[in-house]
Amino acid sequence: MVESDRLKRRVLQGAVRENVETIRGLPPPVLRVGAQLRRGAIQATLLVALPTLGLLAYNPLSGSAPDRAAVLATAPAVLTFRAPKAIGPVTASLGVKKLVLDPGHGGHDSGARAEGVWEKEITLEIARELRSFLKRAKYEVAMTRDADSFVSLRQRAQLANLERADLFVSIHVNSVPSQECHAVETYYLGPADDPRAEQLAGQENRESGYQLADFRRLLEGVYAHVRQAESRKLAQVVQQELVTVLGDTNPAIRDKGVRSAPFLVLITTESPGILAEVSCLSNDDEAGRLADPVYRQRIARALFHGIHAYAEARNRVATLGQAQGASR
Amino acid sequence: MTKKTDVLHVGIDLGTSHSSISASNGGRHVVDSYVGWPVDMVARRLVKKPILFGREALDSRPMLDLRRPLERGLIKEGSERDELAVRELLRHLISLAGGREGQPIRAVVGVPAEALRVSRQNLRNAVKGVADALMIVSEPFAVSYGMDALLHTMIIDIGAGTTDFCVMRGRYPTEEDQRTLTNAGDSVDEQLMTLVRAKHPDAQFSVYMVREWKEKSSFVGEPSGPVVVTVQKAAKATPVDITSEMRRACESLVAPITETMADLLARVEPEYQERVRHNIILAGGGSQVPGLAAAMERALADYGGGAVRVVEDPVFAGSNGSLAIALDASEGDWESLAG
Repeated sequence: MVESDRLKRRVLQGAVRENVETIRGLPPPVLRVGAQLRRGAIQATLLVALPTLGLLAYNPLSGSAPDRAAVLATAPAVLTFRAPKAIGPVTASLGVKKLVLDPGHGGHDSGARAEGVWEKEITLEIARELRSFLKRAKYEVAMTRDADSFVSLRQRAQLANLERADLFVSIHVNSVPSQECHAVETYYLGPADDPRAEQLAGQENRESGYQLADFRRLLEGVYAHVRQAESRKLAQVVQQELVTVLGDTNPAIRDKGVRSAPFLVLITTESPGILAEVSCLSNDDEAGRLADPVYRQRIARALFHGIHAYAEARNRVATLGQAQGASR
Repeated sequence: MTKKTDVLHVGIDLGTSHSSISASNGGRHVVDSYVGWPVDMVARRLVKKPILFGREALDSRPMLDLRRPLERGLIKEGSERDELAVRELLRHLISLAGGREGQPIRAVVGVPAEALRVSRQNLRNAVKGVADALMIVSEPFAVSYGMDALLHTMIIDIGAGTTDFCVMRGRYPTEEDQRTLTNAGDSVDEQLMTLVRAKHPDAQFSVYMVREWKEKSSFVGEPSGPVVVTVQKAAKATPVDITSEMRRACESLVAPITETMADLLARVEPEYQERVRHNIILAGGGSQVPGLAAAMERALADYGGGAVRVVEDPVFAGSNGSLAIALDASEGDWESLAG
């Protein structure tokens, strides 16, 4: 066999193998694992909250959860809680089918503004695009708002809980005093890991609709379930996709990694979740890009790829768990 | 065992805008990727068919539940109707190939890379049963296979819904070797529509008209002449000049495509980057935009120069490649893909 025939045979075998695996029901590999991250000019934050975190925290995919941790809400009080007992991996065989998307701000609460662009408009457009991508991939999707209307954080959480979402994704756009806002960040629920994250959580927790009396119960919610490990995994995949995909357009992007902060909307939703500050309006370049629908669609696509990769991994575990259950 | 000569092998390019089939009996056919069902009894009586395809469906669209099932390169919205449309479209293409009664059919179907990435299992379920054995591959891979361009080559397949990039490194491409953009034919249509509407707010025209304008008069760079189209203004046919709008809409492809091209190039081993740069192949309907390949070569000058060539037969490059895969696959391969 000559070399060119060998080459053809090798690539053809790859195509056959992929198809045979699909016939057998094996999922495709997780998207672009190990892709190079690039440095760039966008500030993006993503917060994910998962309602069934307690169950998810000890699944075979996750790492170990912390057993004690400090919690900080918008108020400066610091409390400690003991994490609940671990739950076995079979109990954690829960798939991802339904998502609630939460476009930040809305109505009189316009969020950040620059170059004639409002945060509330950008978050809604990105959420709509993301919904479209997710529906095409056969997820069920609900939105906390689908118009320029004010919805309190309390109402958003109530809606997500009512919908019994498997994942909750809150979308925001950052605004910081410095023009040097060139980072992508993804947040998951947990104590603030630096003063800026604490300040950001405080900003996003305004207009919450909650009273001071609710705070203790809310704070207990942070660690009522050990959901951080699973949330962090989701945040990591989404962060990687954001940096990779947005870095294709904007080589100045700086990867700030995955971070935790006590965003109220994540504390009060019962499902696993993240909160994404997907860009930075206070940066003039970024404000210009965000006005472009193609760029917003790109952000939505990055979010989709991250969520989908995470969900596929979870759904694999769910299928495995069901198969193990059936064989008993 | 089935003799290879007893079987009809077909290669299909299932595209967002057009779908084509190349068969081992020499048949070559292309249809617009539209499928339509009459909306009611009256419509059914008028169109005289239970289902219509391609241009015929498009021309009868007021009477049809019309589907373009691979919008943006994916099966739309998880709709059962769209899955059915994909299946019917494939059946229609295979019927056009004209196999003998009872002749076994082995099909390789090329789909937009994004469809394969996002809904591999759903896609397979949707096309189940249209052939005795079936293999699904990404369109750029099919093109590269058909052209024997499997090493140190980049395929850029500019379709209607997506632009798919694939670097061939002598192996079956992985996620790392591929990219997909939604900057493609449909996004040009949308942009052109927006620009013309902004300039002529009183003009009436549809996306189907815009698509035809683009297919007839698209260009990148300097125009070879004015682009004048006819729109309706207050029910009166009115010619309007859309030269600058057409240019802006078409040139919106250049930056994202060259940026993505450069990004993928940067991931190739440094010793091979120059070879890949000089071996870039444009495929798909978008490859036919006059001036696009030259614009990309100009952009490549910033990276040390390169060569961009356009496939000779953009309509059948994908289906011919799929047919080549079908013919090269062994008996054992097909047995594992049956059902």
